[in-house]
Amino acid sequence: MWKDFVNELRRIFSDAGVMVIFIVATLAYPFLYKAIYWNEQITDIPVAVVDLSNSTQSREFLHRWSAAPDIKLTHSCTSMAEAEQLLRDQKVHGIIYFPRDFAKQLADPLGQAHISLFCDMSSFLYMKAIYLSCNQVMLESMRNIQIDRYEQMGMDKEFAWSLVQDAPYHETALFTPTGGYGSFLIPAVLVLILHQTLFFGICMLGGTAREENLDQYSIRSLIARTGAYFLIYYGLAAILLGFLPRLFDIPHIGDIGTILLLIIPYLLAVIFFSLCVSVFIRNRESGMVLLISSSLIFLFLAGISWPKEMIPQAWRWVAACIPYTWGAHAFIHVNSMGATFSQVTREFIALWVLTGAYGVMACVLFYIRKERGALRQKKEC
Amino acid sequence: MQRELHMMFARPLYLFASVGVMLLSTFFFLTLMRGGAAENMPVAVVDLDQTSISRRLIHEMQATPSVDIQLVTNSYPEAREAMQQGKIYGIFVIREGFYSDLVAFKRPQLDFYVTNAYTVGGNTAYKQLLTMANLTSGAFQREVLRKKGMTDDVIMHRIQPLSIEGHMVANPWGNYSVYLVSTILPGILGLVCIMLTIFAIGFELKMRTSHAWLRAAGGNYTVAMIGKLIPYTFVYLVLGIGCHLILYRYAGFPVYGSHGRLLFGMVLYIFAMEGLGITLIGLLPTLRDAISIAALYAMLGFSLSGFTYPQMCMLPPVKALSYMEPLRHYYLIYVNEALMAAPPENSLFNMLALNAFMLAALCVAPRLHRALVYQNYPLK
Repeated sequence: MWKDFVNELRRIFSDAGVMVIFIVATLAYPFLYKAIYWNEQITDIPVAVVDLSNSTQSREFLHRWSAAPDIKLTHSCTSMAEAEQLLRDQKVHGIIYFPRDFAKQLADPLGQAHISLFCDMSSFLYMKAIYLSCNQVMLESMRNIQIDRYEQMGMDKEFAWSLVQDAPYHETALFTPTGGYGSFLIPAVLVLILHQTLFFGICMLGGTAREENLDQYSIRSLIARTGAYFLIYYGLAAILLGFLPRLFDIPHIGDIGTILLLIIPYLLAVIFFSLCVSVFIRNRESGMVLLISSSLIFLFLAGISWPKEMIPQAWRWVAACIPYTWGAHAFIHVNSMGATFSQVTREFIALWVLTGAYGVMACVLFYIRKERGALRQKKEC
Repeated sequence: MQRELHMMFARPLYLFASVGVMLLSTFFFLTLMRGGAAENMPVAVVDLDQTSISRRLIHEMQATPSVDIQLVTNSYPEAREAMQQGKIYGIFVIREGFYSDLVAFKRPQLDFYVTNAYTVGGNTAYKQLLTMANLTSGAFQREVLRKKGMTDDVIMHRIQPLSIEGHMVANPWGNYSVYLVSTILPGILGLVCIMLTIFAIGFELKMRTSHAWLRAAGGNYTVAMIGKLIPYTFVYLVLGIGCHLILYRYAGFPVYGSHGRLLFGMVLYIFAMEGLGITLIGLLPTLRDAISIAALYAMLGFSLSGFTYPQMCMLPPVKALSYMEPLRHYYLIYVNEALMAAPPENSLFNMLALNAFMLAALCVAPRLHRALVYQNYPLK
C-alpha cells in the first residue's frame, strides 16, 4: 500500500500536465479572478440626461444624484433620440428623462410627476447600480415634496415631518459591507477551483494509466491514490480557503478551525466522485473535452449566483449529488457569514454521506473494471 | 478529409463530446432559469413589538404576493441563525415599542438586514423588504389622511407625488435567463470548438500518425489542414446555428437588430476559436499541454467577456487581456445586434478582431508543419 501511495505521488509529480492542473492552475486561478474582480464597487457608470423640463427641481434632482458614486452624468442631450444613439453606441449605459411637465406636476398639489429611467441590460450590474441609486434620490426628494404639500394643506411642519417619516427605515447589509461582486463570487470560485482541478487531474491520471495499461483498479490502489490526492490537496485547500480570503481582503469572518474541518469531507467526496467518473475515461485528453463544460454547470447548479429557491426541484436533486453544492454553501456560510460549526452540520453530514456513497461506488466500479480486465487478459492468453 | 471522416466516426466520442455537451448545456441552462426573473426570496420577520398592530402588519405583508415570509419570530438571533444556515436572505425587524411610538408620533424605526453573500438572492430580498417598509409607511399615512376625510385617489397622489418608471432596454422583463444564457451557451460552444480542434490535430502528433495524414493530403500542409478541419467545422457550424435557432426562435429571446449579422458573428466566433486552437497546438505541439492551456484560457473568457461584471470596471491590464478572448468580441456583437440594434459599423472592430485569431493560426503554420513532419516534440 505504501509503495502504491509513493508511486502515485511520483506519477503526479512527473506528469507536467497534471502538475499544471493540480498546482499551477489551483494557485494561479484565484489570483487571476481576484485581478479580474479587483474593483468591488461599480463606479462612474456613464449616464445621459434628457431634461425637457429644464427646471430647478430637475436640476436639483440631478445634482443630488450626481453625488452617488455609482454613476456619472456624462452627457446632456436635448432629445431622446440623441440619448438613444449614445446608448446604442455604448457610450452611456443609462438614460434619465424628465418630461416637459415635470416641474408643473410637482407644483400642482394633486399632481404626480414622473421620471423615466432607461437601463442598459447588457449587464445586470448596470441596471442594479443605476436603478438603486436613482431610487434613493427619488425617495429623498419625494419626502421633501410631501412635506411641502402637507404644509400647504395647513399641517404644521413638525406633524408633516412625522407623518412622512412615520416609520423611517434603516438598512444594513450583513456580512459583506461593501456588497461587492468580488466578495460574493470569489469565495464560491475558490471552492470550485478545488473541485474542478481535482476532478480534471484525477480523470487525466486515470486516462493516462489506462492508456499505459497500468493496473490501477485494485482496492489497494484506490486507497493509496485517495491518500496521495488528499495529502496534496489538503495543503492547497488550506491555502485557498484559509489564507487567500485574508490576503485578498474579501470577507473572512469564519472560524478557521471549522473551515479546516469542513475541507476533510469535501476533499474526500470530490476525490471519490472524480475516481468514479475517471473509470469511464478511456484516454487522457478526451476526458478534458467532455468535462470542461461541467464547471459552469456545477456553479449554477449549486444555486450560488442563481438562488437555489428558483431552481426546479429535479435539478436540485441533481445538485445534491455534486460535492461542490454542499462544499460551496458550507464555505460561504462559515467564511462570509460567520456561521459556526453547528450551523453547517447539515452540509457537513451531507458531504460525509456523499463521501460514503461515492467511496462505495468507486470500490464497486473498480472491482468491475478489474474483473473485466482480468477476463480480457485471460481471453488474450 | 475522407480519412478524417473515417476517423471521426471510428471514434464516436468526438461527436458525442461536441453534440452531447452542447445539448446537455442548452437543456440545462434553459430549464434552470425557467422563471426568468428572481422573486419571492424567503425572508424573516422579527417581531419584538408583539402588539396587535405589528401582528396586523405582518399579516398584511404575508398577503403580499411578492413577499415570502418564511419565519416569524421574536428573537433576532434566531433569524440571524436562519440566515447563516442559508434558509433566508433578509430580516425585517419591528422594534419593541413600535406601536406606542407610532401613536405618539415618535417615528419608530424599522430595520432590515440583507445578506450580500448571495448577490441575486440578497438583492431580491432587499427589494422585497423595501416594499414591506413602504407598505408599512404608506399604510400609516393613509390611515391618518383618511381620518382627515380624504378620498383614496387624492391620498395616492399625496403619498406618491413622484415616481420613477424604470425601462429595461431590450429586456423589459428583466429576464435573467435571456441575459445569461445568450452569452454562456456560445461560450460553451467555443470551449467545445477549441478543445476538439486541438484534440483532432494533437491526436495525430500523439499517435505519431501525422505522416500518414500528410501523405493522404499529398504532402501539402494546407490541404491536410483544410481536409482535417472541414468535418469539424461543419459540426461546429451546425451546433452554432442550432444554438442560435434554439435561443432566438424556440426560446424566443429577443433580437432587435439583424439575425443575419448576429449569426455571422457566431460563424466568425467559431472560426476564431478554431484559429485559437490551431495557434495553441502550433505553439505547444504536445497534445496534453496544449489542451490544458486551452481549457484554462477559454474558461477565463466567461469572466473576461464582461457580461456579468462589466469590463469598464476591470483594471487596465485585465481590460487589455479581455481583447484576447474571442467570447468578449462575440458578446459585444451580441449586445450591438440583439439588444441595441446598433448600426453594423459598431460591430466592425469586433468582427475584425475575430479575424485576427484566424490570422494567428496562419502565423504558426510553419511551426506546426515542422512538428507534423519531424514529430520532434515529446509525447507527454
